[in-house]
Amino acid sequence: MEGKRELIYYIARRAAASVLVIIGTIIIVFLISHLLTNDPARLWAGPKARGVTIAYVIQRYHLNAPLLVQLWYFIVDFFTGNLGIDPITGASISSEILFYFPNTLELVLTSLLFIIIMGVGLGYLAAINFSSKKDALIRILYSAAWASPTFLVAILAILIFTSYIPIFPSGGMNSPGMIPPAHITGLYVLDSLLSRNLGDFTDGLYHLILPSLALAFLNFGIVTRISRNGILSVKWLPYVKVARAKGLDETKVSRNHILRTGLIESNTVIAVMFGWLITGTVVVEQIFSWPGIGKFAYSAISESNYPVLIFVVITFTIFVIIANLIADIMYAILDPRIRLGGEN
Amino acid sequence: MNPTYRKWLNIVFSNRLSASGFVIISIFLIIALLYLIFGNLILPYNPIQINLSQVNAPPSFRHLFGTDQEGRDIFSRVIAALPVDLGISMLVVVASAALGLILGVLAGYYRGIFEEIIMRVTDLFFALPPLIMAMAIAITLGSSLINASIAIIIVWWPPYVRLVRGSTLEVTANEYITMSKVLNTPFIKIFTKGIFPNIVTSLLVYATMDIGTAILTLSTLGFLGIGIPVGTPELGVMSSILSTNFYTYPLEGLIPAFFIFLIVMGFSLTGEGVAEIIDPNIRGHLISRKRRLEEMKKIKAGSRPSDIGPQ
Repeated sequence: MEGKRELIYYIARRAAASVLVIIGTIIIVFLISHLLTNDPARLWAGPKARGVTIAYVIQRYHLNAPLLVQLWYFIVDFFTGNLGIDPITGASISSEILFYFPNTLELVLTSLLFIIIMGVGLGYLAAINFSSKKDALIRILYSAAWASPTFLVAILAILIFTSYIPIFPSGGMNSPGMIPPAHITGLYVLDSLLSRNLGDFTDGLYHLILPSLALAFLNFGIVTRISRNGILSVKWLPYVKVARAKGLDETKVSRNHILRTGLIESNTVIAVMFGWLITGTVVVEQIFSWPGIGKFAYSAISESNYPVLIFVVITFTIFVIIANLIADIMYAILDPRIRLGGEN
Repeated sequence: MNPTYRKWLNIVFSNRLSASGFVIISIFLIIALLYLIFGNLILPYNPIQINLSQVNAPPSFRHLFGTDQEGRDIFSRVIAALPVDLGISMLVVVASAALGLILGVLAGYYRGIFEEIIMRVTDLFFALPPLIMAMAIAITLGSSLINASIAIIIVWWPPYVRLVRGSTLEVTANEYITMSKVLNTPFIKIFTKGIFPNIVTSLLVYATMDIGTAILTLSTLGFLGIGIPVGTPELGVMSSILSTNFYTYPLEGLIPAFFIFLIVMGFSLTGEGVAEIIDPNIRGHLISRKRRLEEMKKIKAGSRPSDIGPQ
């Protein structure tokens, strides 16, 4: 590949920057949780905590130490995975986050798949029918999907497909009584497939479809929009005309000349999308009672479980940052102008 | 009417998508304004008065959208919620745009170490997922409408700084700005005469679409029960009933949720149409309805249609 050395430099530079951003994020969250309130101890211990609990929390999170020392403990605790005990369940917070995370990953990856199919497909359809009725219809559809509040789509999906036309289960990851497959990757559906447990696999898939479709419907709009506009921005460029003038047939022109350049931006948006989907899981997982990190965050909110909430927030943010890093790297691989210093 | 306004209205109404979006927004804004002026006088019921003899009533002529689990009239509550939702989200967007304008112009105009610091801080905040961070801030600050606005503003401003800085860099590369600098024109004059008129268009388009996104974030906070006091007529808080009993009385939460959808859709359609018209790659190829009808007539009449699009 041309400019391979530049690409490696570029990735190293972006990765280093991402590590700095992650540390910066932890500092921001620390400042929010320690400075935006008059009484951090009360916040960390919960609104109805007894004196003993508050004393424990002060000692555990070093709340009486100078601010910089507290920050130091906060960062060290985070990177050693020593986040403290969930005051409601009594388990360690880091193990809970690790337990819930694969379920969320499964949901997000599946809906990402749906988004790619729906987003790029509709975007292409709209662009080749530019300024026609079909184009307008697709634009209204994705504007509507984008404008829908998460809870509206999730509830309508449940009401329509589990109550009025009962073809999907209303929530959860598997039917009651199913024994989860052996822990291989942590992803339920993948594990049941790997351990050749067909019953578990279909059951898991069956539960996975509706929530991931709901999540995909909420977010496909931006991919469609970017694909459509990307294709439109190259569709009339002179080099496409040249390709046609050379006598290439229309499928080759659109595959090799229009789509390759027109969809560069869509690729990066899809990577960024990963981060947005993770954010969307807070509402979707709660409504579909999907035992992932979003539902975990939701219950932490309703139980005023501040320590859990703070560390879940950091986890979410780190995943968004990593998704952005992947997007940047993909952009650099697909578009040599970036890594060769055309921008920045 | 001021010619700039007329130019804007022309752009908005030249396209069906943005025209319909603009009409939707205007209707909601007028209703919100009327409620702000006349208060409960224009409502059939008091939006916050609990009436336990009329609990969970279905839609009827007495209660157009029915009543909620505490007997409050949902129609009245939806109207009372409009100024709250529209007001907070517009406040968030205006505050973020102002912050973006100040920091972005300073960074793009003065460059150097100043720009470096502003942009690194912006990048850092830009990396944070807005909803999640707003959740954390709103919980820390405690429930009140002002705190909810502050929480959203803290995560909302970074895209504006990037946008404004980018356009400022483009504008200041022009000779007439360099010339003004050479002639020792004061910064404030360069800004008001040279920079601002050139960046205001893209800023306005982005901000218009962004109000919709802000409403979505605000109402999600309300739905999750964060930052907005319980019982406030706010569309997200009203929808939060959906998280518990959507099988028994789905309409109580779906109606407010549908209004969120309508409002955001209005902003989204307006921005969608306007963005296309000001995008130089696409603008020239837009075919007006009138022109397409003429082309169809020509084809029917048997003559060859003219080549559509710029040459």
